[in-house]
Amino acid sequence: MTYNRSMPVIEIENLSKSYRIYQKQEGLLAAVRGLFSREYRDVEAVRSVNLTVEQGEFVAFLGPNGAGKTTTLKLLSGVITPTSGTARVMGHIPWKRENSYRRRFALVMGQKNQLWWDLPAQESFRLHQEIYRIAPEQFDHTRDELVDLLGVGKLLRQPVRELSLGERMKMELIAALLHSPEVLFLDEPTIGLDVIAQHNIQTFLRHYQQLRKITILLTSHYMKDVAALCRRVVIIAQGQIMYDGSLSGIVDKFSGHKVVTLQLAEDHVPVDWSRYGELLDVQSPKVRLKINRQTVPEVLAHILANNAIEDVSVEDPPLEEVISQVFTEAGAQADAKDAARQVAATK
Amino acid sequence: MQHSSNTDIGTTAPTRPPRASYRRVFLTFARNSLIRDMTFRTNFVIECISALSWMFMNLGLYLIIFGYTDSIGAGTGWGKYQFFVFLSTTLFINSLIETFFMPNTEEFSEQVRTGGLDFALLKPIDTQFLVSFGKMDWSSLANFLFAIVLLSYSLSRLEYQPGWIEFVLYPLYVLCGVAILYSLMIALAALSVWLGRNQNLYDFWFYITSFSRYPMEIYNGPLGTPLQKVFTFIIPVLIVVNVPARILAQPMTQPKWQLAVFALGATVACLGASRWLFLKSLDSYRSASS
Amino acid sequence: MATVSTPSTTPSELSARLRTWWIILRICIEERLVYRGDFALGTLMRFLPIVTQIFLWTAVYSSVQTSTETAADPAGQQTVAGFTRDEIIAYFLLTMVARAFSSMPGLAGGIARSIRDGSIKKYITQPVDMLGFLLLSRIAHKLVYYTVATLPFALVFYLCRGYFQELPSAEIWVAFIASLFMGFALGYYLESLLGMIGFWFLEVSSLLFVYMLFSFFLSGHMFPIGMLDGFAIFPGSSWSWGDLVRILPFQYLAYFPAAIFVGKIQGDELVRGLAIELCWVLMFMALSRIAYHRGLRRYSAFGG
Repeated sequence: MTYNRSMPVIEIENLSKSYRIYQKQEGLLAAVRGLFSREYRDVEAVRSVNLTVEQGEFVAFLGPNGAGKTTTLKLLSGVITPTSGTARVMGHIPWKRENSYRRRFALVMGQKNQLWWDLPAQESFRLHQEIYRIAPEQFDHTRDELVDLLGVGKLLRQPVRELSLGERMKMELIAALLHSPEVLFLDEPTIGLDVIAQHNIQTFLRHYQQLRKITILLTSHYMKDVAALCRRVVIIAQGQIMYDGSLSGIVDKFSGHKVVTLQLAEDHVPVDWSRYGELLDVQSPKVRLKINRQTVPEVLAHILANNAIEDVSVEDPPLEEVISQVFTEAGAQADAKDAARQVAATK
Repeated sequence: MQHSSNTDIGTTAPTRPPRASYRRVFLTFARNSLIRDMTFRTNFVIECISALSWMFMNLGLYLIIFGYTDSIGAGTGWGKYQFFVFLSTTLFINSLIETFFMPNTEEFSEQVRTGGLDFALLKPIDTQFLVSFGKMDWSSLANFLFAIVLLSYSLSRLEYQPGWIEFVLYPLYVLCGVAILYSLMIALAALSVWLGRNQNLYDFWFYITSFSRYPMEIYNGPLGTPLQKVFTFIIPVLIVVNVPARILAQPMTQPKWQLAVFALGATVACLGASRWLFLKSLDSYRSASS
Repeated sequence: MATVSTPSTTPSELSARLRTWWIILRICIEERLVYRGDFALGTLMRFLPIVTQIFLWTAVYSSVQTSTETAADPAGQQTVAGFTRDEIIAYFLLTMVARAFSSMPGLAGGIARSIRDGSIKKYITQPVDMLGFLLLSRIAHKLVYYTVATLPFALVFYLCRGYFQELPSAEIWVAFIASLFMGFALGYYLESLLGMIGFWFLEVSSLLFVYMLFSFFLSGHMFPIGMLDGFAIFPGSSWSWGDLVRILPFQYLAYFPAAIFVGKIQGDELVRGLAIELCWVLMFMALSRIAYHRGLRRYSAFGG
């Protein structure tokens, strides 16, 4: 199949990946027994994921630890092979590991380091030039441009081990982008960085993506990364896609509440606020209430009619709160499922 | 800045060179390793001295043995200086292995454990090449240099003088020996993908190659002959040093030439089998996420 | 052997301490058992060098018979440094047993590394004595090894039974076993002492290499130490390399137990040898204890 620009860049269908994990029993006897026979448990890291990404999109994968975000990126970059299902990136099946595919994408992992530790980053870049066969003029041009954008010109000659975490991450990004990939996978690119370094990398990524119109998939723990960069968000929990849409849509979908803040007049008589909704806090003269989304107009009308209120604001609950709630619920569901399966298995 | 593929691009991108130049990548590896070795100069010197002193201790052992006997085995043709030709050949082969492959296969097992292999799998270049040649240990070449000295001295003390054909074939068979040992090594490294870790890779290496370090004639008798056959024809470590060493140290007879021909086939077979095993192991790579 | 720091230990304290030791030992054994693939292969491989050694020395003895310089023993067999071919092969098999007790792979390097990367701190912050803890983990390591290796060892000795003339007397057996256990203790304290040099010098790897080199060649597991007697330390000296090596402690790691078993060390010489070995063990035990305390004090004073 030949890929052309009008097709989606990434197409994933029913992609699943499960691992066998050796179950270690406690105790000496069990350890001795483990020499001869072992128990394994299948862990489904990714469960029939379906996803389509168009050219030029900047998509964020959100999810708790172990949700399958990184596994998905590793499947898409061909590092691991799936248990079942298919995926195509620019028409290539990633785990075939064709050189023609590997020349067209890059994977950056915030927790791993691919530069030569004891050498200046410059030397690792040269190696990339040879591996990706980048023409000298193009190499110089791209490198200078990236170095400029990230402001690391003075650090090129320093051994990588002497760079700070943020500086090292910038170098990793340059190394990954030298061959002008059309698809970029970013796995926790800002992990462990301070706020300023995080911000720098965000700015760079946004700018670079707008400039080159490349397709980027990003996983991150930091909501700020996501809010700053991505219009489309995919929530993965327990190996499954829970949500796929805009960032603001998450609140609409998962939160049934609004947060109403009331500024009371000075001569206000105390009332029992909890009959209107869940009382979040009272910091006189301010009161914050959590109110069911559907009943907001009705309740608000009632409040305004019966109290002396100077100001009102109605807001969505904080995004991070909603998302963490989604994660917790997904976790609880999966636990229940596992428990049910175990009961079924022991019968 | 040109964006080299902005219109319809098939799976083969015609605007880009079809493949990386392996020679240039290799040279970059060599260069980067040398730069690194030179930044830690003291360490480099210490490692050279370590390698040499290990070698001198071994030489001492054989000098002791030759203090009690004239040859290794009666009538085998491995007198003192013939055996030192043998020893130089061992040194050539081992130092090449230690320079090019030892640091890499050790790192490979580590990369499998930590998930660092991910990066090698992303590159548009043969993964086995990348894994096998990534780092180089220049200090191990100290023994290579010493082996040249030992070989020249031993040859000058020998009555038998090899002809030009033997001198041409010798380096070829040294390389065959390196290739066989390398295959064994990469196969062991591939096993580490399945075993989860392979802390004892170096030990395995040491133990298996201990067979290659002595003339194959010493393996005879009811137990020795089968052993000789197994380590010649099934796991061909015995031919690694024996074939090139015989070419320089002893007059070649027909059975010896036959073994030399076999060695060529064995080299190809070993490289092929280990490559197959390596590619298989990549399929079951799990990529530890840490 | 792991130190009991307070001499006045009440029975309940003692039992608590014993329980702690047992748990440490157990966890270490479990840890060793997890990587079974590695382990099975590793045990099997260990027998390969002895096979090549048997063939090498058989070949050497076959050509010794044709050369003239060496003496024949009364029975008409050729000897090298007092060993007949059968004796030397029995000797090599036994040095393998001795090395299985005295070798401590990764001990010194591990200690040096934990000093360098700061993980030694856990022995400062937790109520665990490092020398005791590591000793237990070594014992666990060895126990697991012997459990798995007994069968192959027994097989190899059964196959090679022809090289052993007759089983030694009970006294020799006792001396042999005592020398094995002391060899273990000597190996342990010698290596931990080397590792703890890391408190004073950050880079000890070259030192460890030198130690490895010496213990490899001078412990006698490549050749019986008597073979060095014919080689003067420098030309014209009345001292031979053999005399020098006999002064060093390395021979107790391999040569000494094996030579006892094949009957090369007997009577007064045997008693004296065991006494000297005990002195070495006690000396290195004390030295490593001192080094540990001094080292920790230095470490906490200067920070890691």
